[in-house]
Amino acid sequence: MEPLVRITGLNLRYQQKQVLNNLGWTIQHGENWLLGGASGSGKTSLAKIIAEMQSAAGELKIDFNKKSRLPAEVLFVESWYRFKNIEGLSNFYYQQRYTSLQANETVTVKAELQHYGKDKNLEFEEAEKLMEALNFSALKNSQLLELSSGEHKKLQLVKALWLKPQLLIIDQPYTGLDALSRRKLNGLLDEAVAAGVQLILICNDKELPASINCYAEIENGQLKRLDSQDEISVSYQRQSKDLPDFLQVRPGYTSDEILRMIDVSIRYGDKQVLKNINWEVRAGEKWLLQGPNGSGKSTLLSLINGDHPQSYANNFYLFGNKRGSGESIWDIKQHTGIISPEFHWYFDATSTVWQSIASGFYDSVGLYRQLPFSKSAKVDELIEFFELTEHKNDLLSALPLGKQRLVLLARTIIKNPELLILDEPCQGLDQQQTAYFNQLVDELSVNGMTIIYVGHFASALPSCLEKRIELNEGEVVAIETLAESCLA
Amino acid sequence: MANYFNTLPLREQLNQLGVCEFMDNSEFSDGVNALKGKKIVIVGCGAQGLNQGLNLRDSGLDVSYALRKEAIEQKRDSWKNATSNNFNVGTYEELLPTADLVINLTPDKQHTAVINAVMPLMKQGATLSYSHGFNIVEEGMQIRKDITVIMVAPKSPGSEVRSEYVRGFGVPTLIAVHPENDPEGKGLAWAKAYCVGTGGHRAGVLLSSFVAEVKSDLMGEQTILCGLLQTGSILSFDKMVEKGIDAGYASKLVQYGVEVITEALKHGGVSGMMDRLSNVAKVKAFELSEELKDIMRPLFQKHQDDIMSGEFSRTMMEDWANGDANLLKWRAETGETAFEKTPAGDVKIGEQEYFDNYLLMVAFVRAGVELAFETMVEAGIKPESAYYESLHETPLIANTIARKKLFEMNRVISDTAEYGCYLFDQACKPLLADFMKKIDTDVVGKNYNEGKDGSVDNQQLVAINEVLRNHPVEIVGTKLRKAMTAMKAIKTA
Ligand SMILES: NC(=O)c1ccc[n+]([C@@H]2O[C@H](COP(=O)([O-])OP(=O)(O)OC[C@H]3O[C@@H](n4cnc5c(N)ncnc54)[C@H](OP(=O)(O)O)[C@@H]3O)[C@@H](O)[C@H]2O)c1
Ligand SMILES: [Mg+2]
Repeated sequence: MEPLVRITGLNLRYQQKQVLNNLGWTIQHGENWLLGGASGSGKTSLAKIIAEMQSAAGELKIDFNKKSRLPAEVLFVESWYRFKNIEGLSNFYYQQRYTSLQANETVTVKAELQHYGKDKNLEFEEAEKLMEALNFSALKNSQLLELSSGEHKKLQLVKALWLKPQLLIIDQPYTGLDALSRRKLNGLLDEAVAAGVQLILICNDKELPASINCYAEIENGQLKRLDSQDEISVSYQRQSKDLPDFLQVRPGYTSDEILRMIDVSIRYGDKQVLKNINWEVRAGEKWLLQGPNGSGKSTLLSLINGDHPQSYANNFYLFGNKRGSGESIWDIKQHTGIISPEFHWYFDATSTVWQSIASGFYDSVGLYRQLPFSKSAKVDELIEFFELTEHKNDLLSALPLGKQRLVLLARTIIKNPELLILDEPCQGLDQQQTAYFNQLVDELSVNGMTIIYVGHFASALPSCLEKRIELNEGEVVAIETLAESCLA
Repeated sequence: MANYFNTLPLREQLNQLGVCEFMDNSEFSDGVNALKGKKIVIVGCGAQGLNQGLNLRDSGLDVSYALRKEAIEQKRDSWKNATSNNFNVGTYEELLPTADLVINLTPDKQHTAVINAVMPLMKQGATLSYSHGFNIVEEGMQIRKDITVIMVAPKSPGSEVRSEYVRGFGVPTLIAVHPENDPEGKGLAWAKAYCVGTGGHRAGVLLSSFVAEVKSDLMGEQTILCGLLQTGSILSFDKMVEKGIDAGYASKLVQYGVEVITEALKHGGVSGMMDRLSNVAKVKAFELSEELKDIMRPLFQKHQDDIMSGEFSRTMMEDWANGDANLLKWRAETGETAFEKTPAGDVKIGEQEYFDNYLLMVAFVRAGVELAFETMVEAGIKPESAYYESLHETPLIANTIARKKLFEMNRVISDTAEYGCYLFDQACKPLLADFMKKIDTDVVGKNYNEGKDGSVDNQQLVAINEVLRNHPVEIVGTKLRKAMTAMKAIKTA
């Protein structure tokens, strides 16, 4: 039998760089691959070429199994995709999901899946089982706009597992999923393989489906087959270096109390998202915020960043002032810097790297002002520190995801904020990028900046974190020091 | 009530029409201070009401909503929007007597009834604000002499007012104080603070007058914005179908084409839009648009004359009194056009293809924008005002066509726009009958460049560019666009 995929002499250039160099790859029937290795090595491009979403010089031959009942199709699940509103546009702003509007802007999860199922001729019952397995059923009637990025990932996975294409390629399958969902996903992927699907997973994660039986990475534009996952090249370590002077000083705190929440609750109709939250954060503390997908973490953070309309009916204090006592959201944002996958999603795609970072001075999404010299000098300095100088005038959206995240980190710290909110800042990044990012956070933390960090995995956290708050279904289930949580 | 404008002596008419000053950033250095601690009550929670209110509250101001009893009792969308975003909501009786600033954001057609109910409840010395001056200017509503009357009119739909604000920007805004109602002289300070609260001060503010805003707004919406976009869209679609172009393709080209084409106006004005065409295509579009301008000029002038004399609003109000007989008839007709009834086909049309295959719309847009601008300025409206009501708003309205075609465009803009649009469309179509007979698919439906070698007479091209770039709408536009640096990328469907 012919192999499922046969690639020969594949060449791809991106700007000055030869990304794929005479690459060859044969995927036999029955093989399920892990494609790992450094970011920027061409993994995503290769996947897109196989899925015929991108063209390149060379030969690609796919020989589907004609006897199989599964669709003769390659499905590529992207790590980063944009959903659209009812009118087919995707010009959302990220606070929109917290605002209640009677007119629906986007379709519901259920409607989206029904449409997909009809299009692909699939039984809806099957989708319901998958949603159940991924703990996603409760969101059936939510609008796409209301989903977090982790939940969007689940929706993509439900579609893929439901379709069961003969070849399924998933870029960063575990992005944004909590530990339980990851395990469940592995089980579902194994079931799909048992039903005849072949897999290519692109990631550097350790816990994989049992059915993965081939390993490779891309090295110098060529595919290098490996005997096991352990052989995938480990990354280069960042040389720690001195922060720019303006970040080596303690942020100018106006109050020792960063936030104090008293019985804070949020509900939409009869859906309770946060319930009686009591929480205090003091200047300089480093917090880890945890909880399963959908437990209310991002909503909690949106209150702190002045992004939630329901702030006004709640009792809490930010930077020593009662919320809703005449301050503007810009007064609040001045004290904070935030990164979240959703924020990144909706960030202005037309900004350059330099403009994106500079906009951090004004907390705007995109730059609308002329910077005074003192400020623009700081932007240059920070760009240098983050090793982004060569990309300074590039559009943010043209950079690889990991670099984009660094730009947004630079944006949030450019004003040396009192509070740094990092909501799953490493989502979608691979292990090396994550390690690099977290090392930076550690370097930033030493001068007294307050940090709230959302992350799912103990192995992928900065080491500066010292306290932990955990949410479950909108309620606080633990507030403790990290030392305590390790003992438990 | 008599038409306010018509009660003024000519000198004062010209005076008020000519109020137009582009405000410097430094004029807003006092922020929202003038309104700090004041009780703001918004009447109506629709597109403008909800979004302006969200912004004002996020700017640190005290905002609540007064809704009519039925809306509260029946828990209508306006009630739900306000309460679910945690605003305080009450009846007129509960909220208005303590309000310092009452913002009327109900539909214009309802204003007389709303003001008659609201005004007796307002306290001495309070302020009343509008986002459009129709009620004051055309209906001649008289406001109690102790009340200050101001206007803050964002030149964008409500959803943009919000999305631009949270991005840290704003939308261009007109502000005004009614000269008959500024007993304490605080009107301008309050209007500025309110404008800052919506974010408008970051995107360019024009100090205008009720009269200038109304006369230019009406002219813009009925001619270029809604009227000509509607006429042009329908004629283009029908022509393509007549000449055998696939109806699904034609529908998509028309529905999304006007958005893509007019988006180019945002960045580079009319010449920026024309520059998206090849040289040969530009020459053709120029020639067509010159011809269109000659044909349509009398119609634009008639609309402007009727707006100035009050004839337009008189007949429209007659129709209101007559149960909207004309409006409903025209609305039904629009709903029945072939364009409206043909869904956009499932074909991919690239961004450039919208220009290359829809040159006719480029010609319509140029002709309409320039004519509307020229006619307004001839009538005494200042170029800055005329710019906002013609070129600036065109892409915003085109956006609504891309969303849901003409029927929806007409329903969401405003009732005055819808009425005026139909009026224009009824007159314009027959006017263009001969012109359209000569039109073929090379300028609508197919790529104009196909089969041409692309060469043009250089001197002719230079002359055309000269004409385009030196048009007064371009000169004032370049200045105003500098004030709104943030432009979104061109979207393609
Ligand atoms: N739309 C725009 O793009 C735009 C731009 C600039 C300025 N404006 C101006 O803004 C104002 C509001 O326009 P809009 O588009 O926001 O209107 P809208 O979306 O139609 O909202 C109107 C609101 O007023 C309420 N309402 C309707 N009839 C009423 C009545 N008789 N008494 C009391 N409340 C009533 C409605 O609530 P219930 O029916 O539930 O009571 C609704 O909440 C107008 O003056 C318009 O010219 C609009
Ligand atoms: Mg989250």
